[in-house]
Order: sequence, then structure tokens, then C-alpha cells
Amino acid sequence: MRTPLRKWFKDGDPWIWFNAGAVAISMIMVFGLLALIASRGLVHFWAHDVLQAELVGRDGQTMPIIGELVETEDVPAEQLRGAGYKVAPDKEFLQRNLMKLGNRDVYGTDFKWVIDESLSDRSYPEQVVVLERREWGNFYGFISRIMENGETIASGNAAWPELNQRIERALDIYGEIHDIEKVEIGGINSRMERLRLKQRGLELRGNDTPENLLSIQEDRAVLDAEYKLLQERLLELYAKVSRDTLIAETIEGKEVRIELSKIVRAYQPNNMSLFDKIIFYVEKVVEFVSDDPREANTEGGIFPAIYGTILMVILMSVIVTPFGVVAAVYLREYASQGPMTRIIRIAVNNLAGVPSIVYGVFGLGFFIYFVGSGIDHAFFPEALPSPTFGTGGLLWASITLAILTLPVVIVATEEGLSRIPRSIREGSLALGATKAETLWRVVLPMASPAMMTGVILAIARAAGEVAPLMLVGVVKLAPSLPLDGNYPFLHLDQKFMHLGFHIYDVGFQSPNVEAARPLVYATSLLLVIVIALLNLTAVSIRNQLREKYKALEM
Amino acid sequence: MTTETLDRENTMQDDAQDVQTDAQGTDGQRTHAIDISTLKRAGAIKNIAEEETALEVKDLKLYYGEKAALHGVNMVIPKKRVTAFIGPSGCGKSTLLRCFNRMNDLVDGCRIEGEILLENKDIYQRNVEVAELRRKVGMVFQKPNPFPKSIYENVAYGLRIQGINKKRVLDETVEWSLRSAALWDEVKDRLNDSALGLSGGQQQRLVIARTVAVKPEVLLLDEPASALDPLSTLKIEELIHQLKDDFTIVIVTHNMQQAARVSDYTAFMYMGNLIEFGNTDELFTNPQKKQTEDYITGRYG
Repeated sequence: MRTPLRKWFKDGDPWIWFNAGAVAISMIMVFGLLALIASRGLVHFWAHDVLQAELVGRDGQTMPIIGELVETEDVPAEQLRGAGYKVAPDKEFLQRNLMKLGNRDVYGTDFKWVIDESLSDRSYPEQVVVLERREWGNFYGFISRIMENGETIASGNAAWPELNQRIERALDIYGEIHDIEKVEIGGINSRMERLRLKQRGLELRGNDTPENLLSIQEDRAVLDAEYKLLQERLLELYAKVSRDTLIAETIEGKEVRIELSKIVRAYQPNNMSLFDKIIFYVEKVVEFVSDDPREANTEGGIFPAIYGTILMVILMSVIVTPFGVVAAVYLREYASQGPMTRIIRIAVNNLAGVPSIVYGVFGLGFFIYFVGSGIDHAFFPEALPSPTFGTGGLLWASITLAILTLPVVIVATEEGLSRIPRSIREGSLALGATKAETLWRVVLPMASPAMMTGVILAIARAAGEVAPLMLVGVVKLAPSLPLDGNYPFLHLDQKFMHLGFHIYDVGFQSPNVEAARPLVYATSLLLVIVIALLNLTAVSIRNQLREKYKALEM
Repeated sequence: MTTETLDRENTMQDDAQDVQTDAQGTDGQRTHAIDISTLKRAGAIKNIAEEETALEVKDLKLYYGEKAALHGVNMVIPKKRVTAFIGPSGCGKSTLLRCFNRMNDLVDGCRIEGEILLENKDIYQRNVEVAELRRKVGMVFQKPNPFPKSIYENVAYGLRIQGINKKRVLDETVEWSLRSAALWDEVKDRLNDSALGLSGGQQQRLVIARTVAVKPEVLLLDEPASALDPLSTLKIEELIHQLKDDFTIVIVTHNMQQAARVSDYTAFMYMGNLIEFGNTDELFTNPQKKQTEDYITGRYG
């Protein structure tokens, strides 16, 4: 008995098991986390059936409710007794359900905890309608009638196809309005603002001669005329879009007037086949990744946040790569190796361990308040006192994160440079190349996979960073994208949205916690996917470079 | 491969076998490791004094930090001849070779006294441009070190460095160089493939072609065949025979048979000193110094 055990230890088997166990636990944790995020986040987009039931209240009175079952949990019966519920004495635990009732405009809240036992007469009526609205959240109820300019067009069950048609029409018009407001009027506004700044600039420089002012006036008149035209069109469209009104009934029989222009989507979940639900699901997911947020970020999509995250990470990479590479080349190739370079190297490595919020404070204090306001005074005096670069923005966020990730790139590049065989450098030098030529033509290309490794690590770090961004330019809701069709197209001074901050904002700053919770998971999942995609892109670039500059086996 | 080269290789392999059996001492009379009579040598070798001079080393001392690696070497490298440096490991033969194109400059704490004259100019003078010098004195290293580029770009590298980018000139030079290195026929159909896909022997010939492409005056070979298999080694040796028509060749080798086979003149170095330098045949058959004799008979080293 003893010998086999000793032999088992000597063979190293326990260590193999130990290591394999550690790997297995890590894998389980990672996949478990992903599975949790995915399951919690992805069910949110499913068209759940809507339950209709009679709810027995604390006072014994019943009232009808309809809503989606969101969550269930067990609560100790004692706790409920204390809260005044009548609970059978033999029960220790009772099931409690969280129901999404919607109709925030009627009830004040749209979620309610109900005890499972107190629900009776459960049914899933087919004619229940769920309306996704631009305001007040979802509506759960029944269609009463549709009105066009105050006259009833259709009522009852016949109104359903009519409603869908009219919602589609309203959505089309709404899209048009949105385009005009965002794109065309937005463009005019930005040009107007530039004219204003130009005029102010002329005034500041004492160049405000009548001719100059006149030309500005003329430009402004042209824009004004364009604006008037657009406004007329808008008024027309608004009149058109507010033509239809829906009168809907809540379960209690209360009538609610809903303008069709306020409805995003109407569906009858209890009447949908599995196939319909799958299509619905895909539509919702597409909306989530491609639309603007609504209702304090608790509804709609998160497209601006995805856009801001990716743009910021790309800008960060563009800034950090040359800096890191140049620093590493100097440290490794040109600086004489001594105590000084050792100290610099230690300092660089330590920079990687500085908490990220410290970088945020540095970015705010140095870049924004010092450099930024300096730039404002030197180049944008006409915009003062409102700051241009003297406030958080895309540029400062990217630079701050570039500094944060600089050590990673330097260390990885140095590692790559030190791995280039000496014989290759000597081969180049022996052919009459200078050191700089050797570096440029042979060493740097061969070290490029290592540089990409640095960039990959930098992206992984930067894309997930939130704390410093809160100080240097990320906001809860940005009015426009930092890269759009208005001159100068890339707005480095603009504030932007970021997935990481969005998670924090929706999760902890939201006025409607229950509604926001699934979005936190969904956004987290998306952030993970975005980071993974960014990394995969960088990895595939690196693999191509590796293939090209395969190092010699030495 | 032509039958002629095959024959030649066969004889060379036979030679190598002969040498080995001899070295084992089947012939009790001879004390030398190499039977020179089996080596076929073309053309009579003159005395060093009658040769044209390519490089002249005058009292060269070299220090790594405090430690001296060369203690005053004096020698003359004859033009368009093959000169071999032999000696035990650490005797300074590679160090001396790397002095000729100032490769030792790259070593921290390396200091040199004395002169090396190339075309009667000291290459260690301050106004000498090192890159220019290395263009005139090319070097091939122990391990093949092609760049991770295509075969074509490897050969064209030296020219591109000089700013020559005309395709016609490059094409011509690449072909000429590869032909000079006896590699053209093997790679002419895949010039744009990576040089790393070649075998070790081919890589080493590619490196020679790359060095030859910049048309240096002197070709330094630092144990060019030590990392190669016997067949590739023979090809390199054959190549050295051909190249000496155009270049002055200095070769460092551990392998005494190789030195005897390829070189016209041989220098024996020991502990940073040049012990004996002379005609290869004479050095191997009739060494003047006891140390030389001990080394070539295999008593140490």
C-alpha cells in the first residue's frame, strides 16, 4: 500500500492532477461567468408570454393583473406574516414572483412582487397587447379602438391589423423626422456655430470690418433660409405623425390614450408562434446593438456606446504604438545599458501597476486643465468661455489610456527586440548597413509581432477601463457621435459614450433598477464580445506578421 | 548537378576518408594528421613575400576590458588567395577575423591598438566610415543568417542599402551573385519565396551570394561550414575555390582538413598569438614551430 503511494508521488502524478485542477477551475469560472452574463442578458430580448391572473391582496380583496413573469424567489413565510400576509401555518417558505406590469403612467411603477399563492385564475389571453413606447415604458393591456383625427376607425379585434399598419406608417414618418432633426438640422447647427465662432474670431482680432461681417451675414441668411424650409417640413411631418391615436384599456378597464407616434413596437406575445418569437428576438437584438438609448438608457439600444468604445480604443492604439515602440527602441538599442536604464525599466514596469483612477486624475489635471485650456487660449479664443479642449473629450480619454497602456507596449516591444538573434543584426551590418538601416529594415519588421502582442494587451486593458474615463470625457448620454458627417468629421474634443461606463451607469445610476438589470448583463456581454473582436483582429494581424517574419530557429 | 561535379565530390569524399584513416595512425611512419599528397591543389603557390597584399596587420593588440585577446599580431593577407586561420578554441582567430571589418566595434569594452591597412589606409582611423569599410570587407558567419525576406530581397539587400533600386540592375546582380554562389540553378524558380525555406547549406550559400553581391574586395568567412552537414560543407569548399579568382578570402576554421583543402596560406594561432604563418602545404608538412606541430598532429586543441 505504501509503496504504490510513494511511487505515485514520485512520478509527479499529484502535481499533474493539481495543475490540471487549477486549469479546470479557471476554465469553469471563466465559462461560468460568460454563461451567467449571456443567460441573464439574452433572455431580456425574448417575447415572454403575458400572464393574466386574479391577485388576492393582503386585505382579501382580489384584483386582476396582467404582466410578464420576470423572476421567482423563495422567501421565509415568517417574513411575510410579519408584513401582514395571511400565510398557512405549516408553510416555511413561499414562492414570490417579480412581475413586470408596465403601465408606469397608470401605476407609477412597472414592477411588482407578488406571492405565487395569491395568484389565481391564471390564463394567457391571446388578445393581450404589449406596446413598447418611447415614454413611460411598456404598456400591457387590450386594444379598445383606433382614432384618426378624433374619429374612430376600428375597434376591438379588428383593430389589430389596422394598428400594425398605422404604426408602420408612423414609424416611417418618425424616421424621417429623426433624419431631418439629427442629420440636416444638426449639420446646419454645426455650420451656424462655426459662423458664430468665425465672427467672434474676427471681432477678437479686430478684423470685424463691414465687408467681413456682411459675408458672414450672407452665409447666415442662407443657412436661416435652409433652416426655415426644414422647419416647415418638420411641422408638416409632425402634423402627419400625430394623426392617429390608440385608445387602449388596462386590465382594470381604465382607458389610456396613446399617440401612435409614441409607439415603437406592438406585439401580442400570447398569440405568437415560436417562429414569430425568434424573428422578434433577432429584431430586438439588432435594435439593441444599432439603436440609440431611450428612457435614461433603460430601453433601446447602445450603439453610441459601442461606437465610442471602439473609436476610443483605435485612437488609443494609434497613439500608444509609436510612442511605446520608439521608447523601447531607444531603451534597448541605443541607450547604454547601465544603472540608469535599469531604473527607467523598473519605473516603466511600475507604471503598469499604478491604479487606473490615478491616470484619470492625471489626465484631468494635466491634459484637460493645463494642456487643454492652454490650447483653448491659443487656438480657440473665440469659443471661450465655453471650453473646446479644456474639458473632457475623446482626445484626452485616448491619450490618458495610451499612457496607461504605454508600459505594456514598451515591455512587449523590448522583449521582441531582445529576441532578434544577434547574428541577423551582424549579417546586416556586415553588408554595409548602418545601425539605423539595420533597425529599420530588419530588426523592426522582425519585432513587429511582439509589438502587436503589446498592442493586443493594451487593447485588452484599455477597452475594459472605466474609472479614468469618467474623469476625462465619458458621459452618460452623448448628443452626437464623435465621428460623423459634419466638418471636421472626427470630433476629438467631443464627449462620448463608452460601454464600460454605460454598464456602471445603467447598473447603479438608473432610476428604474428592475428594468435596467437585464440591460446590464446584455451590455456586459456585448462589451466582452467587443473586446474579444478587437483582440481577435489584432491577433490575426500579429499572426500574419509572424508568418511573414518567422524568426530563425536558433 | 553535372556528372563532373559529382565526380569531383566523390573524390573529395574519398579524400576525407583517406584523411580519417591516416589520422587513426595506420601508417606508423607519419606523424601528421593530413596526407597532403591526397589533396589536389591547382597552380603553384608562391611565397607570401611575392604575393600582392590585400590586408596588412601591424602589431595588433586587442583587449576585452582588461583582458588581452590578441597580443600584437603581425601578418600580411595576400590578394586573391585563400588564407586560413586555424587554432584551438579561444585562440583569437575569430577575434582577429572580426577586426578586419570592425565587427568588434559592436562589443562593449573592446579596445584595439595597432593598425590594419587596407589599400595602405588604416581602417581604425577616425575618419573611416565603418559602413563603407564593411562594404569592402564582407563577412559570412558561422550559422547561416538569412533575413526573413525573400531570396531575391536577401541578395538585393546590400544594394538597396546603397540606394540602388533600379530593377534591371538588381535583377542582374542577383543572378550574378547567385550564380557565383552556385545557388542559381536551385533557386531560380522561387526567388520570391522566403529564404527561410532553404536548407542550411543553401542558406549559407545564399548568405555568401548576399555578401558577394556588394562586390567586396575581401571576403571573411567565420567557420562557414561548421553548422552544416558534410555534403553542404563540400559545396561550400568548392565555392571557395571558385570565389578566390575574384576575392581575397580569409577563412577561420576548426577543421584542419578543411584548412588544408581550401587554403593557400595558413596561419596557426595560439593564445592570442600568431605562432606560424605560411604556405599551407609547408605548414602542414613541415611546421617550423613545435606548437604548430603539436596542434596539427592532434596533441592538443
